[in-house]
Amino acid sequence: MVESEVVFRVKRYRPESGGRPTFQEYTIPYRSDMVVLDGLNYIKDHVDPTLTFRWSCRMGICGSCGADVNGQPRLTCGTYIRDVHKGAVTVEPLSNFPILKDLVVDFDDFLNKLASVTPYIVRKDWGDLTKEYVQYPEDVEAYRQQSLCINCMLCYAACPVFGSSPEFVGPAASALALRYNRDTRDQGADARLARLNTKTGIWECTFVGECSVVCPKDVDPAAAIQTLKFLATMRHMRRLLMPGASSR
Amino acid sequence: MTGREYPWKRRPGWWLRNRRYLGFQLREAGGVVCALYGLVLLNMLIQLREGESAYTAFLDLLRTPPVLYLNLVLFALVVWHALTWFMLIGKAQPIQFTRQPLPWKVVFGVNVLLWLGVSGAVVYLIFGGI
Amino acid sequence: MERTSFDIVVVGGGAAGLRAAIAAAESDPDLTIALVSKVYPMRSHTVSAEGGTAAVLRDYDSFELHALDTIKGSDFLADQDAVEFFVARCPEEIIRLEHWGCPWSRDEDGRVSQRAFGGMSVKRTVYAADKVGFHILHTLFQTSMKYDRIHRFDEYFVTSLIVDAGACTGVVALNLRGGSMVAIQGKATILATGGCGRVYEFTTNGFIKTGDGMALAYRAGVPLKDMEMVQFHPTCLPGTGILITEAARGEGGYLINKDGERYMQRYLPGKMELGPRDILSRAMVQEMKEGRAFEGPYGLYLGLDLRHLGAKKINERIPMVRELAEKYMGLDPVHEPIPVRPGQHYIMGGVSTNLKGETTLPGLYAVGETACVSINGANRLGSNSLSECLVFGAACGHAAVEFAKRRSTYPRGAAAREALKREEARVFDGLLGRERGKETVAGIRIEMQQLMERDVGIFREESALSDACGMLGKLRDRFASVGLADKDRVFNTELTAVLELDFMLDITMTIAHSARNRHESRGAHSRTDFPQRDDANYLKHTLAFQTDGPPRIDYVPVTITKWQPVERKY
Repeated sequence: MVESEVVFRVKRYRPESGGRPTFQEYTIPYRSDMVVLDGLNYIKDHVDPTLTFRWSCRMGICGSCGADVNGQPRLTCGTYIRDVHKGAVTVEPLSNFPILKDLVVDFDDFLNKLASVTPYIVRKDWGDLTKEYVQYPEDVEAYRQQSLCINCMLCYAACPVFGSSPEFVGPAASALALRYNRDTRDQGADARLARLNTKTGIWECTFVGECSVVCPKDVDPAAAIQTLKFLATMRHMRRLLMPGASSR
Repeated sequence: MTGREYPWKRRPGWWLRNRRYLGFQLREAGGVVCALYGLVLLNMLIQLREGESAYTAFLDLLRTPPVLYLNLVLFALVVWHALTWFMLIGKAQPIQFTRQPLPWKVVFGVNVLLWLGVSGAVVYLIFGGI
Repeated sequence: MERTSFDIVVVGGGAAGLRAAIAAAESDPDLTIALVSKVYPMRSHTVSAEGGTAAVLRDYDSFELHALDTIKGSDFLADQDAVEFFVARCPEEIIRLEHWGCPWSRDEDGRVSQRAFGGMSVKRTVYAADKVGFHILHTLFQTSMKYDRIHRFDEYFVTSLIVDAGACTGVVALNLRGGSMVAIQGKATILATGGCGRVYEFTTNGFIKTGDGMALAYRAGVPLKDMEMVQFHPTCLPGTGILITEAARGEGGYLINKDGERYMQRYLPGKMELGPRDILSRAMVQEMKEGRAFEGPYGLYLGLDLRHLGAKKINERIPMVRELAEKYMGLDPVHEPIPVRPGQHYIMGGVSTNLKGETTLPGLYAVGETACVSINGANRLGSNSLSECLVFGAACGHAAVEFAKRRSTYPRGAAAREALKREEARVFDGLLGRERGKETVAGIRIEMQQLMERDVGIFREESALSDACGMLGKLRDRFASVGLADKDRVFNTELTAVLELDFMLDITMTIAHSARNRHESRGAHSRTDFPQRDDANYLKHTLAFQTDGPPRIDYVPVTITKWQPVERKY
């Protein structure tokens, strides 16, 4: 089934050798049903075992295998070579992150940001632990879209604001904050809005919108952030007009 | 023994990387231009107060070809700024009458129509018809 | 200086590991817990589970019925006390997750929805569309962030257990980013590293599922139970092996052959497409043998027909099926049947444990797919595995806490330092020092996977199994001369691939030898030379113990409480 060949230009960075990242070219056999990850794995198994990248599920749900493919952040397991092939496939580590090695980037920072938005249900009273809370299908629908985030970091790689001010809480963490704020079971909305209504919070966002373009799961973090801006403003107004009153 | 991370630094020409980044930068530039127009109008009021000759001189300056060409470019940016903001309104604050919020394109269309309507009304008021 | 001594060390950040860590964290605010994982927890393979998780929640259902379905599904190899323990605790676990925010799909009355699944006699499977594993994993992971006392070691690869004076006192792990080895000590250690699907060539499992925990326990002298019991899922995409959930059939999908016939009527008319996976996979192979399968670029396949369900139901209940079919097969299941074939999916066997997750080594626990309690026996029912991770994750977490509290002092450092030195010598000086020669890690891995696929697959027989046992021994010998091209210590994925292959070669030996020694057909283990179930001789669990050579095989009886083995008929 080998139809022809394809050239992969992969950015390499070897932390123990120092220096700057450089491109390395590999020419490998090509089939029309190959995704970019297949190409990387072919190189790893048959050409150059030193090539380093993360991957696991190869079905677009674990979020490990993001990289910039021909300049655009993508999941390499879901990107067909035939769709991006313009002479060569250029694969680089995701933009906006420090590089650990080759295509592996450091995004520990994101996990700290995620933790900072209280990404779990907050309750004053958990009620009867043996009974399920009632939640209607439309209640689930209200937060379903944001709950689909797989933490693949493509939105952070696409965000020029995050690229210049890395302390910006960023698209995915904001979307997940909104996911919990919209959950009828949650009572922690106020603390989340307080966190997001800070200098490093949602107001850094200038609505470039690229995060929503690259999102492989259609989470639409850009819209989520704008909604949060509205909710944070309302919260602020309420606190101005009715000091002391707590808001949901 | 352990190696070091290679830090990220945003490249100066990042906004040329794709059309959407470029569109965003132009939209932001359009914002600056809006402010610039404000300054021009402000200056016009100052010239008006200075007396008729100052005001006429200023209007003559505005009619010179270089300023007219510049105006064309700036006007295009302002239009782009307005249009892109209309595109964002429906996404930034979705308007909801039924279970599904209105698609952003509908909100965009309504805004553009309103905009054309108001502009038409202004033109009518000033020129008494086209 | 980072903390390296804990009360509990959990290895693995999937559903079972996270559930155990949260259970431990909740039970006592003074406890410290290490969560060690070779990937970020949200990358764990739980994320790929699709269809649902079982629990008795409605009046029409009962624990008795769930237990019977599970035991019958297991072809009577499940321990019935474990099954009774399990079914009674599923509901509280599902509700626990509901309280933690899991977005379960809901009925119009606001209650958690349930759907039909293979081998379950009523609608018992709770779901969140068809991204159940994904939602469970992210709910658990995000909930775990509530507890400061859970210290995460993300991207730490465990290479060995620390065993001191006959007890497990922690692990030695390779810090992938730091490129150094570290000893993480614990009063109790829980293995929750998932299955070992990557020993097969065609599997639904992710790249990371290399049986690490099983091999770690095995090397510490703990037996692996029922390793011959490997589940093949009937509906995987040809080529990639990507899973199409059983929920597609639970929601009414048909399996068809090239004549358009719903062929299951000839094999299992009572259950049709909702039979247990072992029977469905064998029926598929039969259709292929008899020339009624389609032929494609990746070999023979059958059709999963969802067209009659309509776009609305597909989008609502099984959106990921449509997403996967469109992306990876280039077709829309609303208009075309999806090509499917059987592939390795799960292993019923694993580290032998009791109900609390305890192994034969004091201080060592195992849970989830890594473990074999056993509730799954010779064939697991779909949607019991996520529930298993939750129920036994919690039970195991609590048991480990009890054990840790009985040990007043932290383990002594000398054993840890010794183990650390030994592992540094083995991994850095030994493996990493080897020069690249003829043998490569990918080469041997691919041979091993093809061998397992061919000789230890859906149908098995003596000559193929004995060949496999011999060939695996040879691969083990050749593995000794695998060299590495990457000499860096930082994030050396060639090195981790070597460590994983080392583990997998141990696991494959236990699978092949356990299969060769079981002279009967039961559940997923189908011997063409012994086509009947043999309760007189094999109503017992296989145990595989490590020796210097091939594993030593032993047996222990199955626990029967109230369901006497009868012929498995549907």
